[in-house]
Amino acid sequence: MGILDGIGQGFAVALDPINLLYVFLGVLIGTVIGVLPGLGPTATIALLLPLTYEVEPVTAVILLAGIYYGSMYGGTITSVLLQLPGEAASVVTTFDGYQMAKQGRAGPALGIAAVGSFIGGTVAVIGLTLLAPPLADLAVEFGSQEYVALTALGILLVTYLGTRHPVKSLCMAALGLLLATIGQDDITGTTRFTFGQIALFDGFDFVAVAMGLFGVGEILYNVEKTEKAQAIKTKLKNVWPSRKDFRDSSGAIARGSVMGFFIGVLPGGGGVISSLASYATEKRRAKDPSRFGKGAIEGVAGPETANNASSTSAFIPLLTLGIPANVVLALIFGALLVQGITPGPQLISQEPEIFWGVIASMYIGNLMLLALNIPLVGVFVQLLRVRSGILAAFALLVTMAGVFSVNNDSFDMWVVLLFGLVGWLMKKTGFEPGPLVLAFVLGSILETNFRRSMLLSGGEFSTFITRPMSGTIFALMALVIIISVISGIRKRRRRSRPATPGEEDLAATGTTAEPEGTPGNETTDEQAPPAESGVPRDRS
Amino acid sequence: MRRFRATAPALLAASVLVLTACGDDAAEPETDAGGGGDAAAADYPTESITLIVPYAAGGPTDLAGRTIGSCIEEELGQTVVVENREGASGSVGMQAMLAGGNDGYTLSLIAVPASATNPLQDDVGYTNEDYVPIAVVTEIPSALIVGADSQFSTAEEFFQYAEENPGELNVGVPGTTTSQAMELRRLAEEYGVEVTAVPFTGNAEMTTAILGGNVDAVFINSSQDVLENIEAGSFLPLAVSPAEPVDYIDAPTLAESGFPELTNSVSVFGLAAPAGVPDNVVSTLEETVDTCLQKDDVREQLGEQYVPDEFIDSDAFSSRIDSIIEAYGPILQE
Repeated sequence: MGILDGIGQGFAVALDPINLLYVFLGVLIGTVIGVLPGLGPTATIALLLPLTYEVEPVTAVILLAGIYYGSMYGGTITSVLLQLPGEAASVVTTFDGYQMAKQGRAGPALGIAAVGSFIGGTVAVIGLTLLAPPLADLAVEFGSQEYVALTALGILLVTYLGTRHPVKSLCMAALGLLLATIGQDDITGTTRFTFGQIALFDGFDFVAVAMGLFGVGEILYNVEKTEKAQAIKTKLKNVWPSRKDFRDSSGAIARGSVMGFFIGVLPGGGGVISSLASYATEKRRAKDPSRFGKGAIEGVAGPETANNASSTSAFIPLLTLGIPANVVLALIFGALLVQGITPGPQLISQEPEIFWGVIASMYIGNLMLLALNIPLVGVFVQLLRVRSGILAAFALLVTMAGVFSVNNDSFDMWVVLLFGLVGWLMKKTGFEPGPLVLAFVLGSILETNFRRSMLLSGGEFSTFITRPMSGTIFALMALVIIISVISGIRKRRRRSRPATPGEEDLAATGTTAEPEGTPGNETTDEQAPPAESGVPRDRS
Repeated sequence: MRRFRATAPALLAASVLVLTACGDDAAEPETDAGGGGDAAAADYPTESITLIVPYAAGGPTDLAGRTIGSCIEEELGQTVVVENREGASGSVGMQAMLAGGNDGYTLSLIAVPASATNPLQDDVGYTNEDYVPIAVVTEIPSALIVGADSQFSTAEEFFQYAEENPGELNVGVPGTTTSQAMELRRLAEEYGVEVTAVPFTGNAEMTTAILGGNVDAVFINSSQDVLENIEAGSFLPLAVSPAEPVDYIDAPTLAESGFPELTNSVSVFGLAAPAGVPDNVVSTLEETVDTCLQKDDVREQLGEQYVPDEFIDSDAFSSRIDSIIEAYGPILQE
């Protein structure tokens, strides 16, 4: 099927009244939770996941995708008005967005963010439309060895990129890999670490683990914090940016779209990394970098465009390879699995209505978001008045009912509570749940494919290097490790010198930024901005 | 509205649990009687029946369970509540059925051979004496399949090459404890033809593996998607697994290809009840399933070709399971 036929079919699916309603619901929920600090897209999707089992698979994905990219819009609002990132990817927006608001230019800041998000999102959907089908054709050739290489790369990148403490996230990734071994082994059928408990034969349920770590852990963490009422003092006027604003930010939006698209495809790349990378690029390209941090509109336009583009392109590896690029996509992966659909290279040909329907819904969703955001910003801001205690109690109730309904098994409810506790402790001690959950998902793919490769090759390790595609990926991984080691050594030498300007920006905002618990939020508080390569790395 | 819809299943499930808990107490006196003489059992069914599907919603077992469930509901005039209790290759569902009591109001779909081989392998909380098979709903044969551009075009060529080059051919199977994997082990042990079985999870993965040329062949459940691929010409079937050839796949049986013992790799979905269920419950259900399987809409929903030509009742189903236990027991207990 050609791309035109496909997209035609997709719109037929997406324009179905039910699906149209769910796109709208998705982007609306996304915007709302984006506005509410402490409830990121991951927590929300984790909480709402069981509710999607009732609807058609395509409708479920449309809804969840809508929440994801919708939250990218919503997160901007509080970043600009209150210097309070509603979700992680908007942290960078606080640097210049809040400054613009202080100068009375909150309207244009939000306006340009919405426009940039729309353009970035649309460019990425077009890229997804054009690139995913050929990629899926290529992916059919992928054997177990390639999957080993890709998942290992994914775990490496997730651990290295966008985390404050690589050692801590390495620990979490290792824990995730260990947890993934619980249950019946795929290759020999022996049970591992089950202690004779049937409930553990299939390992921990991914949905329960994710809901616990992100959902309940998040709720506990938020409840603990003292509630303080947020007053919105800024008056919003002239949301539509001026011609000069457009001229100033057009380059940033263009670069943000492209950069966001490509970073989103990388494992672990969606969301925060792309916005950091875009901010770093804009700052470096600017004629007068000192404007940044003082209300430069490019500093809002670029990152906001990039995070939206990346949250869309992050769907590419999932829909073509069946490998989730980040935790949100891992949840969507879970949603499809529960519906009896295994995402992979066959998805486009076997379930075209899902693939194309979701893509078409993204075009529509981005339009809806533009329409929602420009005139309704003032309304969304009022949401901040909802007391978080009420929200938390309600969310916990939905979680427990939801997880029970997945398998009709009370064991899963205990798993949620256990991991909720673990997630809360992890947040308190600065460990990120993101690498754990992603390693947990990728771990079983990695292990099964590794052992399958061993079977196929008759136990020859060289099979990973001699196959061109897996060889290339492993070479790339070696490169990433070497570069990061070298730059780590360099940085140590430069220790004595003052921190880079960007670092100060973040350090300044870090203290006020809410450490809210989306997996992408690895950079929330005192995180360093991207290094010159556009690859953020820990500097502490 | 959405919230309400979504919590509905949970509420429903909760009420079902309460119901089954009550049913448990009521069933107590019948437990050791086991006979069909009870007055309560005589006019079975007088209340709603819970049908447990031990696998995920949306899968082939779920389809079979829901189709037969709604037909039983129609025929017997009592609500049939289908409940998915997946986990541990169906063992969780089996335990749930046994916990529901043997008064005939808790039934389960079983997927043979898994439900018969699970207890042979691990302590899964039940044995093959704990349940009574009632009737077969569908049976799906396995097929040995190569890609369209394979060097093999017949079973003969394939097995000859395998015999001359032990372990060189990689054959994908749907999982390590599946009948397909065990048939390949018997192929090596009993006939000295050795191939490397590579376990995958599910048909989608295996289809990708064969299309991408990453395995030499797959030994796969010939469900609808596989039939479509055969028809499209991207799959070439070399052999099928049942004792008799099937008319919708143009390939000889394994038995005809020189391996007369290898006839057990057929996925059978059927209805079962806990052991000790009153006899008349079994006979009522046998009759009902037989009637259902003759209905055109039911046959179409299940896949016409998968409905057995001749109805397989409780006794025939039992002996099928016994022969599987006999064939695979020794392999699994090694």
